[in-house]
Amino acid sequence: MGHTATPEARSGGLTATEHRLANGLRVVLSEDHLTPVAAVCLWYDVGSRHEVAGRTGLAHLFEHLMFQGSAQVSGNGHFELVQGAGGSLNGTTSFERTNYFETMPAHQLELALWLEADRMGSLLTALDLESLDNQRDVVKNERRQRYDNVPYGTAFERLTAMAYPEGHPYHHTPIGSMADLDAASLEDARAFFRTYYAPNNAVLSVVGDIDPRRTLEWVERYFGSIPGHDGKPAPRDGSLPEVIGGELRQVVEEDVPSRALMAAYRLPQDGTREADAADLALTVLGGGESSRLHNRLVRRDRTAVGAGFGMLRLTGAPSMGWLDVKASSGAEVTAIEAAVDEELARFAEQGPTPAEMERAQAQLEREWLDRLATVGGRADELCRFAVLFGDPQLALTAVQRVLKVTPEEVREVAARRLRPDNRAVLVYEPTGGDAAGEEPDAPVVDPIEEEGEDA
Amino acid sequence: MTETATEMTLHPRPQAGQPKPWAFPAPERATLANGLTVLHCHRPGQQVVAVEVLLDVPLDAEPEGLDGVATIMSRAFSEGTDTLTAEEFAAELERCGATLDAHADHPGVEVSLEVPASRLGKALGLLADALRAPAFPDDEVERLVNNRLDEIPHEMANPARRAAVTLSKELFPADSRMSRPRQGTEETVARIDAAAVRAFYEAHVRPSTGTVVVVGDLTGIDLAAVLGETLGAWTAEAGAARPVPAIVADDTARVVIVDRPGAVQTQLLIGRTGPDRHDAAWPAQVLGTYCLGGTLTSRLDRVLREEKGYTYGVRAFAQVLRSAPDGTGASLLAISGSVATEVTGPALEDAWKVLRTLAEGGLTDEERDVAVQNLVGVAPLKYETAAAVAATFAEQVEQHLPDDFQARLYERLAATGTVEATAAVVNAFAPERLVVVLVGDASAIREPVEALGIGPVSVVKG
Repeated sequence: MGHTATPEARSGGLTATEHRLANGLRVVLSEDHLTPVAAVCLWYDVGSRHEVAGRTGLAHLFEHLMFQGSAQVSGNGHFELVQGAGGSLNGTTSFERTNYFETMPAHQLELALWLEADRMGSLLTALDLESLDNQRDVVKNERRQRYDNVPYGTAFERLTAMAYPEGHPYHHTPIGSMADLDAASLEDARAFFRTYYAPNNAVLSVVGDIDPRRTLEWVERYFGSIPGHDGKPAPRDGSLPEVIGGELRQVVEEDVPSRALMAAYRLPQDGTREADAADLALTVLGGGESSRLHNRLVRRDRTAVGAGFGMLRLTGAPSMGWLDVKASSGAEVTAIEAAVDEELARFAEQGPTPAEMERAQAQLEREWLDRLATVGGRADELCRFAVLFGDPQLALTAVQRVLKVTPEEVREVAARRLRPDNRAVLVYEPTGGDAAGEEPDAPVVDPIEEEGEDA
Repeated sequence: MTETATEMTLHPRPQAGQPKPWAFPAPERATLANGLTVLHCHRPGQQVVAVEVLLDVPLDAEPEGLDGVATIMSRAFSEGTDTLTAEEFAAELERCGATLDAHADHPGVEVSLEVPASRLGKALGLLADALRAPAFPDDEVERLVNNRLDEIPHEMANPARRAAVTLSKELFPADSRMSRPRQGTEETVARIDAAAVRAFYEAHVRPSTGTVVVVGDLTGIDLAAVLGETLGAWTAEAGAARPVPAIVADDTARVVIVDRPGAVQTQLLIGRTGPDRHDAAWPAQVLGTYCLGGTLTSRLDRVLREEKGYTYGVRAFAQVLRSAPDGTGASLLAISGSVATEVTGPALEDAWKVLRTLAEGGLTDEERDVAVQNLVGVAPLKYETAAAVAATFAEQVEQHLPDDFQARLYERLAATGTVEATAAVVNAFAPERLVVVLVGDASAIREPVEALGIGPVSVVKG
């Protein structure tokens, strides 16, 4: 294996080394002997943005199939073996990647590596229609439970669909549509695996109470013979103008408990200094109980029960800033929206105060410390920076970058991006249809979309 | 039609290495001059320190008709002090990079602080001021009350929350605090004002009956001095002991449907009450409950999810409601999950089949072994963070358990046999003693559920 160990970067005593197997699998190791546990994390460079029309949800459905056995692992064997060894495990799918992870007692690390290698190299020997049909039903119930059967459950899907136009790789979310889930065939799943599940399309990180030399030997032994291949098509271009160019708006009349104002803003791509500045701007404006929107809407105007901003960092398309305001009873959305506009405009003009910068940076620093507090969190971050930015060491210095952003940069990104012509607005108006026995109407959607802006 | 050949070299499954010793940490105890009990524990490398303050203010101390006053008081702790306004307090806390949460539950009020170790002293000062000298400003309390009133419809709209509220109402008599929502109802919350919050605080909140837990990397921190200057400066008069009402529950088998016309799924919550952690059979019940519904390879999900695809997942669990060494405590034993509307009847039928098969045939030795290996084996993972360790210390104190309860539990689990685990879980989830709450479309699910004969079915408005 071609060792390409790099100088050790440091962050709070954390270090990482990088290696590459001959088949292209990148490996990141980080030692920490404080607790006898070890985390294994595999990021495959495939997510819902790689899906094609008519097959939304395939990346996530496929992730479920990765737990249905492989050449040497029976049906639910992956779960049984890891849990039986005192480990924990899961997998998740997002727009840009699919990850699989185990945290094990340190003496069971080799088992987790063997399991991950077995499915990376031999999943198709076990994949059959029965498990596909079963997991299709499970995923449809996941969709119902998390999106369709909860108030405001489809808000994120609607905002995404507006912020990223029809045909854009990020127009649909990873859960996919019921119709597309129904349409997924065994051949789709096989083709998906053959295209994207290869050692040279993945990064493996191992973090914790490990012996790096032995760990690398195990990685070589179990993963080394899996052939790499280069059949992966380049992802569709996700670049978009930095602002939407005109406000998009959708009003949803549904049986929800209160009015709500939500909005998606296009923000700078992840990995840039501007993205960190945007994160700080959203934190000052809507991250926590001392934020401007909380103070204005919840404390002073009392028009909202909760008001906040979240950030979805993306590398292959503009990131998304997500505003979420749940109205107090009796409050009008127009009043809330006017107040939000006023706060955003004022912020774009004046920027953050020194005290606000200090608070926002302290909050983001603690969030970062939280993520690094577990070996699993560290393994995930190392994979993230390796897959998305080509350099895992960047994970260890991420917080320093956030602390270097200046107030003027924060003001500037707010002025450029947090503007009415760069947002997709979603308004919820309750139907108040709580009378028992009422006809179960389908949700009434009233799209007042201004189409064809930048699409 | 599967592919048979694979190009990779297959190796036999590796054997485990030599386990490394790990033990659940033991806290050190101290008492401050004001009577506040201190539990602390140094966890190297844990840069975010977790602080938990437990106040001996159970929900049944709330005055009649004022359900929710403990919740409003808990939230109002962070709404200003004798020296800071509400906005200033929030700003100072966030300047430390800290988070502060407080919530009221049956055993008492718990205030949780998390803060980077470098700013622990500053944040403990703020926490101490919040508990020692809360301002409880009239207008901020009024706002919290209105916010709480606005939250209630959101909770009622959430199928899982709605099911939980309904099950409590079914299990416990109306005069029991446990029958009613922890955070109050629209009727009771509307009656709460700053005067009521202050009166409740004066009557029940004091350091002498409280405990503070501090866990994290305490390198270079003189904890005794920091605590002495902050929480140690809190004084209040001792209060009178309160009688604790007995817990009674009606677990006669029955089904209550909370009607949600058009719902695409049915939320299931199937439950009854059982003993708390003082019960000798607790470890056996933990083991058996894991085998029944602890994970996706447990008996319920093996059928409902992995064979039938009816659900994203169904879990069985025990949640302690109130704990007492004399055996008068109780926990909620429950099975929870959601299933597609059209398979609600078949899913419940399968669940009951799983319970009956378990009662007839018992657990296998292999199931028991895997469960022990998991429950004991995951301990070092589960307790990696300071917050996880602090939460368990706090739970032990709140439940009147010895400080080594969790450490001993791992030994007791390892010593529990298949027969004991079977007996405990079969006893806990006896099908003829389960109250079933279904939040879903009554017009679609009522008939198939009635046909199962698992208890009389009633429908309430959703």
